[in-house]
Amino acid sequence: MTMMTAQQYEESLRHLNLEVYMFGKRVENVVDDPVIRPSMKAVAKTYELAHRPEYEDIMTATSHITGRRINRFTHIHQSTEDLVKKSKMGRLLGRETGCCFQRCVGMDALNALSIVTFNMDKKYGTEYYPRFLEYLQYVQENDLTCDGAMTDPKGDRGLPPHKQPDPDQYVHVVEERADGIVVRGAKAHQTGAVNSHEIIVMPTLSMREEDMDYAISFALPSDAEGILYIMGRQSCDTRKMEGDTIDTGNLLFGGHEALVILDDVFVPWDRVFMYKEYDFTGELVERFAAYHRQSYACKVGVGDVLIGAAQTAAEYNGIERASHIKDKIVEMNHLNETLYCGCIACAAEGKREPSGTYNVNTLLANVHKHNVTRFPYEISRLAQDIAGGLMVTMPSAQDLRSPETGKWMKKYFKANPDVPTEHRMRILRLIENITLGTAAVGYLTESMHGAGSPQAQRIMISRRVNLQEKQRAAKKLCGIE
Amino acid sequence: LRIGIKYCGGCNPEYDRVALVRHIKEKLKGSAASFSYDTREADLVVAVQGCGTACADLSGLDPQKIRILTDPEQAQKLVQEISRLVDEDNPEGERPEAQGA
Repeated sequence: MTMMTAQQYEESLRHLNLEVYMFGKRVENVVDDPVIRPSMKAVAKTYELAHRPEYEDIMTATSHITGRRINRFTHIHQSTEDLVKKSKMGRLLGRETGCCFQRCVGMDALNALSIVTFNMDKKYGTEYYPRFLEYLQYVQENDLTCDGAMTDPKGDRGLPPHKQPDPDQYVHVVEERADGIVVRGAKAHQTGAVNSHEIIVMPTLSMREEDMDYAISFALPSDAEGILYIMGRQSCDTRKMEGDTIDTGNLLFGGHEALVILDDVFVPWDRVFMYKEYDFTGELVERFAAYHRQSYACKVGVGDVLIGAAQTAAEYNGIERASHIKDKIVEMNHLNETLYCGCIACAAEGKREPSGTYNVNTLLANVHKHNVTRFPYEISRLAQDIAGGLMVTMPSAQDLRSPETGKWMKKYFKANPDVPTEHRMRILRLIENITLGTAAVGYLTESMHGAGSPQAQRIMISRRVNLQEKQRAAKKLCGIE
Repeated sequence: LRIGIKYCGGCNPEYDRVALVRHIKEKLKGSAASFSYDTREADLVVAVQGCGTACADLSGLDPQKIRILTDPEQAQKLVQEISRLVDEDNPEGERPEAQGA
């Protein structure tokens, strides 16, 4: 098998024995749980589109290790064209799902490791790169979804890992054996974790010699013994349990995050990709972060959905011809396409690393992600402005269905005479979903903090920008030099 | 006449690419043109590009055989060309049912 279908992907998850908890209870059937299932369907979309001729040019690639056709989410970028197609794939899937489709993070972990394992071998004569390639082939041949797990809980932010009162605040090695290592700790905010076949763990920050036990990277099957998941809550999440689909806004898809706990988990050596090479932790973090900041191309696709919803709401409200509404729609598009410029630019300006992997332009990737921390909020504000207050004061779907109240809702929530009241409710619920419901986790707060909070990008921008060159140009033009 | 269909990836298309191909097939219904997504053995490859960027990967294909569509308005000219090529292929006027993808 080289590329799974959506159905095969769903079936493959049923064979996993994950230990998942939600609302204080063990989830016995993860795949069919009504709160989790929409997120599984969003990942499944990445499998479905790869088999459709009208999307395969973006959704698939040719493996550089086997020459076989593979899902692009398991591909190591071999050119700037590959990087551009990755950005385009993010927009496509964001627009098709209207949410976080969760699979980019594993792709970014694989690409970052393909660079760093090569560089470590070059410096230390280790054998991480061939080991990584073997693992990569396993991922590609089986078309696996990987969770790229970087963010540790971090404990006291003022202290490095080895000085934490609780040493488990960062993932670390607790035992070294002849056949592998035993690790302990946790990874927070793990997008798509329970929809993943594999968990790829990386250190969360640049480390020093004293933190050597924390300088580790490895991959585990998601149902390895000792891993457990505690699902994150999302605003309005229990609406998915109500049955009627109107109030969920997005009927089909969603995202999820989880706290992933590694409670003394054994990792065989052939799955260890960094072991105490603390001087490469910074590079791994930086490489992964740059790729993942590019991945926020997906927000352009979700922005497409929100702009479409806002325009539709304007038409349903009968205000689409008002000049200020038209102007707001233009502004939303301007912001959204500006985001698109960033994710395309950082890809087009990418470069080849010694391993042969192509990396994005780090400065532009950080600029792109920094825009993402801001523009979706403004696009959301404009969408809510256009939608009107009914978006948050509207009674429930059950009230619409009720014989006592439904007739009043149909009468008093009617706007455009050609549009059924239910359609108006549905489009307003979709805007609610993206701007303050379950999808706002991905479209807003994840845009703020995912792949690093805004300050992380500002630090990278200050490091990467060539200020002296700008000063030289200025001084020359005004006659100082 | 074997016609290979090659779509771009559809990241942000300016028109419905699948509907356009459906329209072209409809126009050629009854002709000897057959359609497939396998472009390797095709006599003619129609690259259905969702916008002017035209980023579909056409590497390995004979440039002489490629016809690029970036706008639905280009479809009519393409249908005429395919009809002409079909006629040249079938001077006796045979019209087997169009088939394939």
